[in-house]
Amino acid sequence: MSRLDTLIFGCGALGQEVAMQLAERGIEVYLYSDDLDEVGALLAKGMQAAVVDFKNDDKLRDIGIGRWVKRIFCLFSDEPSNLFLTLSARALDADLKIIAVCESAASGQRLMAAGATKVIDPYEISGHRVHERIARPYLVEMLESSLFGKHIDIAEIEIPDHSRLNGAMLNDLGLGSLFNLIIIGVVDLELGRELIFANSGISHRLDGGDILVVIGPEAEISRLKRAVAENSLEPASDSGDP
Amino acid sequence: MSFSRRVIKQCYAMQGSSRYTGVKQAVYNLLENPQAPIRPYFDIFMILLVLTTVWLLIYEVKNDLGTVGDLIEMVAVGIFIVEYLLRFWIFNDSHKVILERYERAEFINQPFDLWPALSHALLGKLKYVIRPLAIIDLLAIIPSYRPLRFLRIFLLFRLFKLFRYTRSISEFVKVLSEKRIELVTLFIFMAFITFTAATAIFFFEADQQDSQITGFFDSVYWALVTMSTVGYGDITPNTTEGRVITLVLIIAGLGVISFFTSIIVSAFGEKIHEIRAHRIYSEIERKRIDTLICGYGRVGQVVAERMAADRRSFVVVDPVEENVRIAKKKPGHLAVVGDGEDTELLLSLGIDKRIQRLLCLTGDDVVNVYITLTARQVNPDIEIISRANHRENVSKLYRAGASYCVTPYEVFGLIAAEYAGQPVAFEAVYGLLTGQSHEGIEAVRIKDECVLVGRSLESVDFTRRKLTPFGVIRERDSGSAEEHANYDLQGRRFFFNPGKSFILEKDDLLVLLGHEYSVVHFRDCLERGTL
Repeated sequence: MSRLDTLIFGCGALGQEVAMQLAERGIEVYLYSDDLDEVGALLAKGMQAAVVDFKNDDKLRDIGIGRWVKRIFCLFSDEPSNLFLTLSARALDADLKIIAVCESAASGQRLMAAGATKVIDPYEISGHRVHERIARPYLVEMLESSLFGKHIDIAEIEIPDHSRLNGAMLNDLGLGSLFNLIIIGVVDLELGRELIFANSGISHRLDGGDILVVIGPEAEISRLKRAVAENSLEPASDSGDP
Repeated sequence: MSFSRRVIKQCYAMQGSSRYTGVKQAVYNLLENPQAPIRPYFDIFMILLVLTTVWLLIYEVKNDLGTVGDLIEMVAVGIFIVEYLLRFWIFNDSHKVILERYERAEFINQPFDLWPALSHALLGKLKYVIRPLAIIDLLAIIPSYRPLRFLRIFLLFRLFKLFRYTRSISEFVKVLSEKRIELVTLFIFMAFITFTAATAIFFFEADQQDSQITGFFDSVYWALVTMSTVGYGDITPNTTEGRVITLVLIIAGLGVISFFTSIIVSAFGEKIHEIRAHRIYSEIERKRIDTLICGYGRVGQVVAERMAADRRSFVVVDPVEENVRIAKKKPGHLAVVGDGEDTELLLSLGIDKRIQRLLCLTGDDVVNVYITLTARQVNPDIEIISRANHRENVSKLYRAGASYCVTPYEVFGLIAAEYAGQPVAFEAVYGLLTGQSHEGIEAVRIKDECVLVGRSLESVDFTRRKLTPFGVIRERDSGSAEEHANYDLQGRRFFFNPGKSFILEKDDLLVLLGHEYSVVHFRDCLERGTL
C-alpha cells in the first residue's frame, strides 16, 4: 500500500461520503474500521478499506500515524470510539490534523479537549440550513447554487515571500477592479488563524505567508492565482475602491 | 303532479344557488364548525346569555323581575329559538334527499312519487329532533311559553346547553361515556345493594313503635344516604337487626365508592393524553401555527431552537414521550406525542389547510418519505423540507414531493473535504454557513419607495459602511443589466460581484457581506431614506 497522508476511520455512511467528496477533489484516502462487515462492503464497492484495531497504538503507528499521515477523520458512529481514537492519535503526533464528527455540543467539547483540531456537527449544520431555508429562502438558494454549485468557488491564495504585493495594504490592492472577485479577507498566520475581514475597516499590511480568501468564478480565481505566481501584480498607486 | 314538479324545480334552484349554500355554510361556521374563527366568540356569547337567564331565574324566586328582566328573558328565548331552528336547518340538506330520490326514479324510468321522498326528508330532520342536545335545547325554550309555566324547573336545562359551548365539559362527558360498561355494572350493583338494604330495613323497622321509617321511600332514602357514606343521621335504625344491616351496608358502600372513584380516575388517566392533545390542537388553531416539525432529534432540535429564537410559531410531533417532554420545557415550543406516519394526527393538526410548511426531520428515511408523500397528497401547495440520511434517498424524497432536501452526511462530507483542501477558506465559509460568526451574508430587499431604486451601486459608500456588495438577485422578467455577468437561479438572475455601474431596481435583493451590525444599520438607513 502506498503512503497516503489522509486516513478516514469509520466506514459508515459518513466515512463513505467524505471519501467520495475527497476523491472528487483529487485526494486519495484509505478507510479504516474495526468492523469487518463494513470494511467488506467497502472493498466490494472498490474502495480502499482495511480492518485495523484502533485501540492498539502499535497498529496505528503501523498505518502511518505519527509518521507520514498528515490528517485523519474520526467518523465512527459512536462517540467513545471517536474520543479514544482522537486521544491516541494526538498522543502519537502533536501536529496531526484530527477532524472528528460529533453529535451534540457537549460531545464536541469533549472531542476538542481530547485534542481534535476541528469538530463538525452535521446535525447542527443541517438544522441551521433548514432554518436558513425557512428564514431566508432566496439567500440559501443563491449560496447553494453558487458556493456549492458550479459557478462560483471559494479559494485561498498564499502570498509568496518575494511577491510585489508584499508590504502593500489590503485595501489599496484594488483587486476588485482588476478581477471579478470578492476578497473576503486575509489570514495572517503570524497573528493567528483568525480571518481578518476585508471590510472590517482595518487595512491590513500584506506580507509573505499571508493567505487571501477570495470568492469568484473559477476562471477568475485561476487568473489571480497565475498572476500571483508570476508576480505580475502591481499594487495600485491610488486607493482602489471609492 | 304540478305541485311535485314545483317542489323539484325549487330543489334544483336551491342546489344551484351559490347564495343559498353560502348562507348555509356561514351558519354552519357560526354554530357547528369547530375550526371557524368566529366560533369561540359565538360560544362565549351564548355562555354569557345562558348564565344571565339562569341568574334571572334564581333572582326571580325571591324578587320581582321588572320589565328589563322580562325583556332580557324574551330576547334570550328569541335567540334560543332562532338557534334551534338554524341548527334544525343545517342538520342536513332536505332538497338533496328529495333530488336523489327524484333522480333515481328518473334513471330507472319510474314515475316519481313526491310523498315518500318528502317523508324521507322529514325523517332525516326528525333524527335531529331526537338527539339529546336538541332535546335539551328544546326543553330550555318550552317553559317560557306561559301555559307551560309549571315546567319552569326545566329552564335549568339551559345550563346543560353549556355542553355545546364549552369543550372541557363535553370532554368530561366523553371520557365518562367511554367507561359506559363499568358504570352500568356499578349502577346495577348499587341498585341491587340499595334495594336489598332498603327492603331489609323496611322489613325490620317499619312496623316498630316510634320508627322513623314510615314508607318504602324512607328506607330507600336511608339506604342511599348510608351507602354513599354521607350519613345524615335523620333516619337511624333502632333495632339490633337494623344496625347489623347498617354495618353491612356501610362496608358495601365503601366498596361502591372506591369502585366509582377508580373508574373515574382510570378513565381520565387513559384519556389525559388525548385531552392534552386537544388542548394543543386548539392552541394551534388559535395561534395560527403554520409550521409542523416531524421528529425532534438533533436536527429537529436545532431547527426548533432557531425558529423559537426568531419568534416563529411551530409545533413538534415526535413519537418519543421523553423528546416531547424536553421540547415542552423550552420556551416557544409546542409539542405533541405522536407518529408522523399517523395521517389522522397530521390532518387534525391541519396539514391539509392551515399548515404551510412541513419539516420531516426524523432519522429514518422511510418515515420521511412516507410523511412527505402523505402530506403532498393532501396538500399540493405545502412546502416540504425533508431530511435525507442517505444520498440515494434524495431523489426518492423529491419524487415523493419534497420541495427541498437536506442531507446531513453530504453536508458533512462537503465541509470535511473542503477543510482537507483549504482549511483557511473553509473556516471563513464555515462561519458564514453556520451563522456562528457575527460576520455573515445577508440580503436586503430594495423596496418600491426605496431611495436606491434606479441608482447605481456607486452612489452608496459601501466601504465606509464596512460592507461588501456580494451580489444582486433579480426577478428574471426585467431585461436590463444583461451586460453584467449573471447566473440562473431557478427563475431568477443572480449577479455576482455587481460593478459600480450596476443600476438597482425595485424588488431587487441586494446581498451584502459584512458584520451583522453593519447590515442592520444599513437596513435602518434604507428604511428611513437617509443614505
